[in-house]
Amino acid sequence: MMLVAAGILLMLVAALTVAALWRRVALSDTAFRLFMVLGCTLGAIPAVRVLSGAAVPDVRLASLVPGGDWVFGIDTLSAVFLLAIFLVGGACALYGVAYAEHDHDRRRAAGAHALLAVLVAALALVVTAQAVVPFLIAWEVMAVAGYLTIISEPERAEVRRGGLLYLVATHTGTLALFAVFAIWGNGARDLTFASLAAHPPASAGVLALVLWLALAGFGVKAGIVPLHFWLPEAHAAAPSHISAIMSGLVIKMGIYGVMRIIALLVAPPVWFGWVLLALGATSGFLGVLWALAQHDLKRLLAFHSVENIGIILLGLGAGVLGVGYGHPVMATLGFAGAALHTFNHALFKSLLFLGAGSVGHATGTRDIERLGGLAKRMPRTAAVFLIGSVAIVGLPPLNGFLSEWLVYRSLFQGGVGTGSARFVVVAAVALALIGGLALACFAKVVAVIFLGNPRDPLAREARESASGITRPMAVLAGACVVTGLAPVLVLPPALRVGSMLARSASRDTMSLVSAANGPVTVFVLALAAGIALAAGIALAWAARRARSSVQPSRTSVETWACAYPVPLTARAQYTASSFAAPVLALFRPVTGVSVRRTAHSFATHAVDPVRTGLVLPAWRGVAQAADRIRRLHRGRISLHLAYVIAVVIVLLVYLIAAGGAS
Amino acid sequence: MHTAPQVALLFIVLMNFAVLGTSRLSTCIRAVAVQGLLLGVLALLLAPRFSLHTGVLALGTIVVKAVTLPWFLAWAIREAAVRREVEPLVGFNASLLLGVLAVALAFAIAARLPLPGMQQELLVPVSLATVITGFIVLTARRKALTQVVGYLVLENGIYLFGLTQTESMPFLLELGVLLDLFVVVFIMGIVVFHINREFDSLDSARLEELTD
Amino acid sequence: MSRNALISLIVLLVAAPLLPGIALKTKSVLTGRRGAPVLQVYYDLWKLGWKRSVYSATTTWIFRAGPAVMLVSLVAAALFLPLDGRAAPAAFAGDLVAFAALLALGRFALVLAGLDTGSSFEGMGASREVTFATFAEPALFLCLIALVLATGELSLSGMLGAPLAAAWTRAPASLSLVGISLFVLLLVENSRVPADDPATHLELTMIHEVIVLDHGGPDLAVILYSSALKLALFAALVASVFVPRARLGAAASVVALLAALILVSAAVGVVESAMARLRLTRVPQLLAGAGALACFGIVLLLA
Repeated sequence: MMLVAAGILLMLVAALTVAALWRRVALSDTAFRLFMVLGCTLGAIPAVRVLSGAAVPDVRLASLVPGGDWVFGIDTLSAVFLLAIFLVGGACALYGVAYAEHDHDRRRAAGAHALLAVLVAALALVVTAQAVVPFLIAWEVMAVAGYLTIISEPERAEVRRGGLLYLVATHTGTLALFAVFAIWGNGARDLTFASLAAHPPASAGVLALVLWLALAGFGVKAGIVPLHFWLPEAHAAAPSHISAIMSGLVIKMGIYGVMRIIALLVAPPVWFGWVLLALGATSGFLGVLWALAQHDLKRLLAFHSVENIGIILLGLGAGVLGVGYGHPVMATLGFAGAALHTFNHALFKSLLFLGAGSVGHATGTRDIERLGGLAKRMPRTAAVFLIGSVAIVGLPPLNGFLSEWLVYRSLFQGGVGTGSARFVVVAAVALALIGGLALACFAKVVAVIFLGNPRDPLAREARESASGITRPMAVLAGACVVTGLAPVLVLPPALRVGSMLARSASRDTMSLVSAANGPVTVFVLALAAGIALAAGIALAWAARRARSSVQPSRTSVETWACAYPVPLTARAQYTASSFAAPVLALFRPVTGVSVRRTAHSFATHAVDPVRTGLVLPAWRGVAQAADRIRRLHRGRISLHLAYVIAVVIVLLVYLIAAGGAS
Repeated sequence: MHTAPQVALLFIVLMNFAVLGTSRLSTCIRAVAVQGLLLGVLALLLAPRFSLHTGVLALGTIVVKAVTLPWFLAWAIREAAVRREVEPLVGFNASLLLGVLAVALAFAIAARLPLPGMQQELLVPVSLATVITGFIVLTARRKALTQVVGYLVLENGIYLFGLTQTESMPFLLELGVLLDLFVVVFIMGIVVFHINREFDSLDSARLEELTD
Repeated sequence: MSRNALISLIVLLVAAPLLPGIALKTKSVLTGRRGAPVLQVYYDLWKLGWKRSVYSATTTWIFRAGPAVMLVSLVAAALFLPLDGRAAPAAFAGDLVAFAALLALGRFALVLAGLDTGSSFEGMGASREVTFATFAEPALFLCLIALVLATGELSLSGMLGAPLAAAWTRAPASLSLVGISLFVLLLVENSRVPADDPATHLELTMIHEVIVLDHGGPDLAVILYSSALKLALFAALVASVFVPRARLGAAASVVALLAALILVSAAVGVVESAMARLRLTRVPQLLAGAGALACFGIVLLLA
């Protein structure tokens, strides 16, 4: 725990340094990089140790503020998030320094770096807080730091709008969280997590209220449909490395909150598991569908985060149902899948956002309809973006497949169980549908941006980004590949988290660990065998051809255009909207694509149906009601005095009546 | 799971899916005809003992539901020159999904109904599913002819439910078959005649134009 | 890995190009023609291997890697099927997900390789392919879920092996529905009529054929073999569901596998000669119908 504190302290030192030395660019940049990397490495060490089975003692600080002592500690749940925070935070900090290298406003750039360091430090504090008051304080710091980093270019209207939407949404969520802890803490001795766990809400009704409020509060942060409407605006408006931290880490804090609530409850109710399952399936399906309709790269990636939150919720739902129906294996696997997917998503979503930043930096646009052929001009960015795409679709052999496999496995485990748990298996169909749509979405993204011909001079003149930008991406891509190809590194820690949340016996966990290792080894062997076979065939063929007189291949031809006399232009390629149109047509009522058709033009526009259909009309209704109430306030002092006297009289009458009755 | 009545009931559910999922009216009519045939066969198989009364009922069911009505509907299709349901109110994929949900719902409800132990456990769920499917087709389609097909499917479901009374083939069934005949001939004849005359088409959504 | 499983795998890999030839031969005979020889695909593979490769200047390394990744993913997927009726060379609980994911990997690689050329034809084919995949994946999972519920096993070797024979006595209706649903999936995934016509010459009407339009020479040979292997995998899946071969002896199971593959290909040929191709917008409906059948099977199992 001391190491984590040291790491956080170093990050704050980094922030102060860069803020103080903003005039001397080279010195402040180097100092910032050094302190951030050092801080992240120091902080990650205890996380790795906890994940491999060691235990780290808590730190208790007596506080003068009411609410009990401030406890900080790392358990297995915190360790997963902590590792993701330090890895992704460090990479994004390095990326941010390189990104802002050519920014003329050095003071603003220094401020942005400092705020990033504060944000990462706050994130680390949120997951290590083991008492309510420090948790909420760190939560607020994180929220405000997030807002300040989003509006790093406040002269743009869309940035201001995105930041404001984010601020309003996150504070509404925090209000719900205050309610949750107030209700729950009412019956507890003090406000540490340990005492909250010892005194669960007494009645089922109070428990239901607490759980729904927690879902609302943490759901706004996590971006569960229909509380996700702030996500795309905020993530598109922020600079790319900040979007990477937001999508990779900040929304995971909502997931952390839900998992912490589950960890604090000995017996989460069964209906909660079904609710999580339903929310997960809906968020996953709608998230990826809406992502498919976008052609702004960052909005697309933001909607895709909603989808992955849905997958995590599916795992959590399966876990809670396993606990509720008494299937410890199903519960462990479900929670393990959710935890691993959280970690994996932090890795590959931040990688994709950094890649989007690199592309945007090189071409000056986020509109994928104007890009194309960037694989030849930005080969390193293309390679890491491809790795991130393959990982996020959940294809073997990368890490996305591992976590999705764990969630599938837990759902199927329910299917071979007994009783009502068997119905859980139908959720696997939702997961398959989500996977199919994700494949379509990322085939579109990779193909339209990197393959084919450039559709616009902006794309034609793009050049590869600086190494300061591509190296952090390469680190994250390497992490994806390593965790995918070496599941023995990540599966045991994931199963440990799962068994902690499922409260299953360590004997069960160990048998699962050994059972899970065997299959994955077999799987990797199978893949290796397939590769060996293909390689063998190719070698044999090449050997025969080398001996014969077959001519070498020609590589300078134009693409076949069906004997059209003029070579294909870039406009002949499929556009992103055309590629996605048949898939979207299958689900027309819910895609939120509006079509504007006149006699001589045709345009499609993707809108967020929840925002335009639910939130904005509700907001207009609230504004109208507020207008009507405003008429009660005329500004005349005599009227306000009359209100005060009226309320006092009413209270007196109530007191007399209640006193008379008792 | 391999007795003849169970196979017949399974095929009835498959015919429900066929009616829900196809846009070609001739396929819908053929599916309802097969359903009618299966209903007649089921009446014979489920009767506790074979009597002249049962045989006549089964034969009458087959003749009416599987021969006469489909022939009449096919004539109506030719008269009105309509072959496909082109733009239904609820799309075909969504209708299939609703049909599957109807089957699941029917099985769930049937498990909770306080019915005495029956020999054929599939009878009640399949009849409920068929009734719900008929409702779906009635409400989700535009063409009047498809809605008539939906009404026939609904009637088939009710007929199935009547078959649960294995003590005696009740009068209800015979009345049901006659009601089918009456309703279809009467209503459809009038509707087809009038719509065709007024609008030169059989789009029942255009009935909305019949306001003052 | 038992010797029998290895032999069955080799038989599948060697006999895969035979199956499209049988389907074509059946279709030709039924429509009154003589048709191409049954071994035609082998001749094509040999001929293409000696041709020179021509690559467009627009393409990148992804174009060259696509066919190889597809072949590797299909061979790896074949390792999970219990071809001898008892146990697959590689098996673990939950490997059905790995099977489906490997097929998706092959599809992703092929789609990207097609879009690399910057041609509208490949874009069109890729767009249609992913549209069908959106419904085909859930349909495949519905069939697999039904098998899991029927047999209580979590591995393909269990679901298609010995416990399946016992499941047939308990729930024959559900398993027949699953088998039919898998056959419809076979037709769609392998671009057979009624989803796609493999004999069409118009690029605008192709789906799978047009994604690989610009591949030539050895690349096309790899793709041709991969398509045949995919057909063989699905045929083995359908055959295993309808005819569990767990109780046969070693040599008999290999012969039975070969006979089952040939039978399924002949059935494909019969279907192709009897039906016309569906309109493109109706293919998702066909998949929804297959999914509905599998769903009905699941409802019967859960009731």
